[in-house]
Amino acid sequence: MSIYWQQWVRRWRLPEMRLLFLALWISALAVAAVGFFTDRVESAMERQASQVLGGDLVVSSARPLPDDYRQLAAQLGANMAEVISFRSMLSYGETTQLVQVKAVSSNYPLVGELQGAKDLTAGGVSLKGQLPASGQVWAEPRLFHSLQAPVNATVVLGNSQFALTTVVTKDPSQGVNFFQLAPQVIIPLADLPATGLLSPASRAEFSLLFTGSDRVIRALKAELETKLTPTERIRSLQEGAQNVQQALQRAGRFLGLAALLSVVLAGAAIVLTSASLVRHETRTVAVLKAFGLARRRILVDYLGNLWLLALIAGVLGAIVGFFLQALLAQWLVQVVAIELPAASWTSAWVSLVTALVMVTGFALPALLRLLDTSPMQILQGSSPTQKTLANLLILSILPAIFVLLWIQARELGLAAWVFFGLLAAIALFWWITKLVLNGLARLSTRPAWQWLALLRQSRRSLLLVVVFAMGLFTLLLLTALRTDLINRWQASVPTDAPNYFLINIQANDQAKLEQFLQQNQLQTNLYPMIRGRLVEINQQPVSPEDYPKAEAKRMLEREFNLSSFAAFPETNTLLAGKWFDAQTQGFSIEQGIGETLGFKLGDSLTFDIAGQRFTEKITSVREVRWDSMQPNFFVIAAPGLLLDKPYTLITSLHIPANKPELIPQMIRQFPSITAIDTSAVLGQVRSLVEQATLAVQGVFTFTLVTGLLVLWSALQAQKPERQRELAILKSLGASSKLLRQRIWLEFALLGGLAGALAGGLTILAANLLGYYMFDLAVSFNPWFMLLGALVGAVLVASAAWLNLRSLLGVAPMVLLKA
Amino acid sequence: MCSSTDRCIVDTLFCQLVPDMTETKTVIAVSHLQKQVLAAAANKDKETLSILSDINLTIVAGTSVAITGASGSGKSTLLGLLAGLDLPSAGQIALFGQDLTQLSEDQRAALRLGKVGFVFQSFHLLEHLTALENVLLPLELGRNSGDLKQAALAALEQVGLSSRAQQLVTKLSGGEQQRVALARAFVTQPQLLFADEPTGNLDRHTGQEVSALLFRLQRDYQTTLVLVTHDESLAAQCDYWYRLAEGRLQRQEQSA
Repeated sequence: MSIYWQQWVRRWRLPEMRLLFLALWISALAVAAVGFFTDRVESAMERQASQVLGGDLVVSSARPLPDDYRQLAAQLGANMAEVISFRSMLSYGETTQLVQVKAVSSNYPLVGELQGAKDLTAGGVSLKGQLPASGQVWAEPRLFHSLQAPVNATVVLGNSQFALTTVVTKDPSQGVNFFQLAPQVIIPLADLPATGLLSPASRAEFSLLFTGSDRVIRALKAELETKLTPTERIRSLQEGAQNVQQALQRAGRFLGLAALLSVVLAGAAIVLTSASLVRHETRTVAVLKAFGLARRRILVDYLGNLWLLALIAGVLGAIVGFFLQALLAQWLVQVVAIELPAASWTSAWVSLVTALVMVTGFALPALLRLLDTSPMQILQGSSPTQKTLANLLILSILPAIFVLLWIQARELGLAAWVFFGLLAAIALFWWITKLVLNGLARLSTRPAWQWLALLRQSRRSLLLVVVFAMGLFTLLLLTALRTDLINRWQASVPTDAPNYFLINIQANDQAKLEQFLQQNQLQTNLYPMIRGRLVEINQQPVSPEDYPKAEAKRMLEREFNLSSFAAFPETNTLLAGKWFDAQTQGFSIEQGIGETLGFKLGDSLTFDIAGQRFTEKITSVREVRWDSMQPNFFVIAAPGLLLDKPYTLITSLHIPANKPELIPQMIRQFPSITAIDTSAVLGQVRSLVEQATLAVQGVFTFTLVTGLLVLWSALQAQKPERQRELAILKSLGASSKLLRQRIWLEFALLGGLAGALAGGLTILAANLLGYYMFDLAVSFNPWFMLLGALVGAVLVASAAWLNLRSLLGVAPMVLLKA
Repeated sequence: MCSSTDRCIVDTLFCQLVPDMTETKTVIAVSHLQKQVLAAAANKDKETLSILSDINLTIVAGTSVAITGASGSGKSTLLGLLAGLDLPSAGQIALFGQDLTQLSEDQRAALRLGKVGFVFQSFHLLEHLTALENVLLPLELGRNSGDLKQAALAALEQVGLSSRAQQLVTKLSGGEQQRVALARAFVTQPQLLFADEPTGNLDRHTGQEVSALLFRLQRDYQTTLVLVTHDESLAAQCDYWYRLAEGRLQRQEQSA
């Protein structure tokens, strides 16, 4: 042991060993910092999302849920709340109103808190730990308005009387289906049987909400999934509330991608450093072999040394990464005022494993190559053979990169995509750079192009350009996606996003309402809404029993909201077919519903609308953004169709905060209209967007730092060679001014080239990724090439100057001491 | 500080010769040159090591001068000082009549530019360049005009490597690499050439070829040659031969 330790200490004196340590440490640090930070932001976002869902896991059914489930949750140690929700009529004196009754158990809500007030004019305050007492009912403000009932009025639900005691301004789980038409009331679960409202035939939704540690929730979910009957469905955060799901997914994917790219960048640094370590150690190994040491012994010896190095780098990286992340989070929290939960220790392990995989995967081929060289070959002074490199690359470096990507992505598909994308990018960069540099070198022998002569040595920098290009590509890609993502998110919830839905607008009120809206400078479109039940697909009758999936059954059981209009909805994307023009007939359907119920472009659908049958072919398929806060329809008929059927209108609009009187005015003038306030949901979505933005910016900072560090390692790896070169030029009479100019010009050109390449690829990749992964519209942005070239030139030349500046002082005497 | 009477006589003789030669032909004039360096000692302290003490030397244009000595005798240090690659601890060195100790590093470099060539033991070619591009380097540094490529090709022709002009130097053998180094050294037709163990890394046969080429080019271009070597047969081919021992120069009589 002590011999190994001594050897380690001796080897530590090698500059390459220290550089390798630095590269490993930087990788571990980056992985740990990004990991810790991502972890915290992700759990902050999950917490937000679970509020909307009502728990980490929700099981619901149209029938009462078996007691097994409750027992299972208790056994596993999960927290549980129970909700039964159904529609009923509520009466106050002579007035009646359809309400959505939500009977809740005593520990509702599991996540988040209810907010409310004892007074209609007061703002909501936290009602944490409080729920309606027996005989009390809490309700949304609009119920008080529609009943014109005061607080503490007595209302009747079924056989029971309740006191209407509290105005609920915010229910965290309301985001799940904020389109519900009837105002929501909350009663104690224990009071439900006495109302007599719940008979076996009544349509209700029975839900069990669960929270707990990740492990508990995973176990519970796995258990429950084996027991579910077709009418029961399970929802977890991943498949949770639709309006937050997309934003969460995009943010998660982006964070994953950013972390992936930092690992790859750091990998480049390790490869560069390992290569230079091998160059340095060739002679030593030759001597060891000449003295009769076995290959195996030498390999074990080196590998042991490197693993120890990686272990130390990994541990130190995790520790420093943790503190770095804590600092960044603290700073960001001050700026954005969001609470971040504590980080888990997983990232520390990941950083340790990353360092070990990196040193094994990237140093092993170099070591094997080192061992393959015969002592004679080295003593004769020829350079080690490169023949085996290709095999080793395939056997070791590529799998290592893939494993690292997998560790980071935690998703095989994403890892594979990035892996092959990277290989393609590296090959492309390599090939173009080689072509350009060789071309320039050839050109430079012509008298007029002599100033390009300094680029001839740059052929050695082929690898450097590829590494720079990869680094810059990463930075540019993240910049592009970050900007696009943030813009897109913000556009999806702009400050003037609709905060009210108006439904039940009678067709004969349309003209007058439009006039009213115009007078108040409110711009909006009114969409007709026709209710119809799907009865036939391609003239074949369909019924809920034909479908095993609960979701499909539910869709067929209830009536669809159909519409009919001419302008393509702004927030939708056309996936197939053609949108309506003046001549076309037919339906335009939402993609998901087609998949669920099994119909597609060209099929015909028959709806039963108020007893009449109506059949059309599907002429287009749309993708709908459900988080757009606009009225969205599963099925839209060609303009003009269906308007002979009974219909109402629907719209969404933004009521400015300083004009709260508009809605009551409107309701007085058009009593049939129901106005639904969505600002609470909007607030949730907006706060989610803020968190996602924060995460993206935080991770971007880390990747930026990693990129710069890799640039530095790449320069560092070339330093000995550069030093010799500068000494030769000095001995030939080059002045330090000329050498300075050479460094600046050479690296500005290399950086510019790398940047332009990176910019070109960014345009391609950002569009592909945006389209396939992030659901963003494709936009070609040629400025990225110019931006890349500029950033590359300035960044690389400055970094090179800082790194190589000290070499200008080299005494050319070193050449004589060879 | 003379430890040997012979050496003092030699030095004195040369000092007296200097005034006659400075007028037109002296390329290098060295007087009372000393060089000490700080060397790491076993106990981690640095100690001052005297490498050269009281060197006096004059080199006349067009001649060839060999300096021999045992390993570690300071031959290469002296060569570096003569070329202005480093500065002495004491004494004066005049290169082309300019006192190197009064010049900055850039001014010393400017003095070398186009006038001084080098041949090193480990060749010191730029690895990622072709033979032709290596030879082009000093021409381009000097901002020469005209057809530089033609001049470089001509230089390669003279060392018999014009057919390998487009090869990367790493693909060439040791002897070929040193011939490229010779072409690079002579392409500017320098007045002065420093050669540091030019055959040190070559086998005997190749070494002889390279040295023959070196002397032929030196004569053709009337270049002053300062050659550091431990190969006495090589030194014997020079007009003057000095031995460096214990930090001092001693003139060795040529047999020829």
